[in-house]
Amino acid sequence: MSAGTPRGFGGPETGRDVTRYMRVELHETEPSADGAPRVVGTAPAADHLRGPDGGVRAGALLAILDSVGGLCGGLAALPDAWVVSTNMSARTLTREHRGPFRVEAGVLRKGRTSVVTGIEIRDSGARDAIVVDGVLTSALLVPQAGPPRWERPMSLPVAPPLPEPVPPLPEWMGARPIDGNTMEMPLPDALRNPWGILHGGVVVSLADLAAEHVTRRTTTDVVLHFLAPNRVGPVRATATELGRRSDGVVSRVEVREHGAGRVTALAVVTSA
Amino acid sequence: MAATYPPDQHLLRDLRISFEHRTDTTSGARMPVVPALAAPDGSVRAGALATLVDVIGGGLAATVAHPSWIATADLTLHLYGAAVEGDVEADARVVHAGRTTVVIEVDLRAVPGASIGLATMSFAALPRRAGNPDVTTSTAPGPSTMALEGSSLRRPLLDELEVRVVDPARGELEAPVGEWSRNSLGAMQGGAVATLIDAAATTAVNVRASEPLVVTDLQITYLALSRSGPLRTRVDLLAADTEHAEARVEVVDGGASARRTALARIVASRSLRTGR
Repeated sequence: MSAGTPRGFGGPETGRDVTRYMRVELHETEPSADGAPRVVGTAPAADHLRGPDGGVRAGALLAILDSVGGLCGGLAALPDAWVVSTNMSARTLTREHRGPFRVEAGVLRKGRTSVVTGIEIRDSGARDAIVVDGVLTSALLVPQAGPPRWERPMSLPVAPPLPEPVPPLPEWMGARPIDGNTMEMPLPDALRNPWGILHGGVVVSLADLAAEHVTRRTTTDVVLHFLAPNRVGPVRATATELGRRSDGVVSRVEVREHGAGRVTALAVVTSA
Repeated sequence: MAATYPPDQHLLRDLRISFEHRTDTTSGARMPVVPALAAPDGSVRAGALATLVDVIGGGLAATVAHPSWIATADLTLHLYGAAVEGDVEADARVVHAGRTTVVIEVDLRAVPGASIGLATMSFAALPRRAGNPDVTTSTAPGPSTMALEGSSLRRPLLDELEVRVVDPARGELEAPVGEWSRNSLGAMQGGAVATLIDAAATTAVNVRASEPLVVTDLQITYLALSRSGPLRTRVDLLAADTEHAEARVEVVDGGASARRTALARIVASRSLRTGR
């Protein structure tokens, strides 16, 4: 899988607009017994992240998962490489969120070409109930200017609050329906990651919105494969309902980089 | 390991899967529905379907990755229907073939019947080593099968895998890594591991359920080859009510210092058979 032109890894703040919007704070903690890095994040259950059912949107939760799991995978790839997400699978276990969320990521496996991280999001305001259980797989890649050289242990405090009123997630993304199955969004620089491509958390949020648009239900489970980078907007996600069962609707979502006319992600979404 | 792969007595022969390899980046397969593959509700169990997916997806991925070899990284399966008779048809296509990864999508259909599920798999492309099979002959365009005359499941799939329940409430099951279920690398075949995961989850969730639940979703991350055995499972029930359960399943290789070899998330629900 190819990455886009690196936007730059000069500083840890580069490409952090998405985590700023999600208000994610990230800290590298004591490594595990085998020396692999671990990352703990916190994020509020902010109003601007909530969906029609009152809970934080699955897309926002998975964007947080992607940020924390991605950083953990990246730290595991250092000093030789950095990472780009290749797929994630995660399930939301509760839809009532008080917050703040505590996110823990650890390395499940590091190979020659990929890193697999396990991520758990818990609700500190609800007796640490598990909100999301997921896995993120990332490919090891070497940026043009070389891997980042950051002070360790890594710590990324939360950015200053965004000016009020903070737009809700679909509005912030610029996402809008263009037909009964498809959501479209532009690709502004603010939504790019350090590789210069659309942030993986935004891709999964767009898939979530497309499934919600088609099923009129709330996303509970996402499996998403990143197939190619989104460099040229607009980006479109088209959802197709596959079948129904007692716990919801299963949909297939295809994300296309409309500007380049290719499929960039494939997701299977369950909505309750 | 036996000198030829698969040996005459092997999971991949006894499932009697027939293949239709094509010249484009798609492949088809059919697996007969037999009682030995049944879940508690009588439909084909998720683990057996995952085995079909693994076989057809792995073959297609190996073909497009050639001359590199592949290792299965993950397998996901979402079911919304059930197969209870006839065949299960799998239609696989390549959705991404890059330098380091291959992603495959597999549609599952009951024949006769309708679409019952969608699966995805991703594979890491690896440098070819001596001993890696040459798939260019086994996946040449046209119909083929690994079944021999007399190949068939003689007992339920879990019995063939010699699965033993140690602690049902904790989903602790144990299975050896036998010749019957090994892959070409000498480890338990990915579909057999999926079947063990399915069995562990089914066992654990049905300890508490008021009516039999069946696994409808599998999201498996393969972390290492399960070579030594016995493989042992453990289930963490994350959410459960009388007709639905979600759990995390861990597989460790007892003969390899209890190394974790797979991690899965599962969903179990009421039967997907119509009319139930």
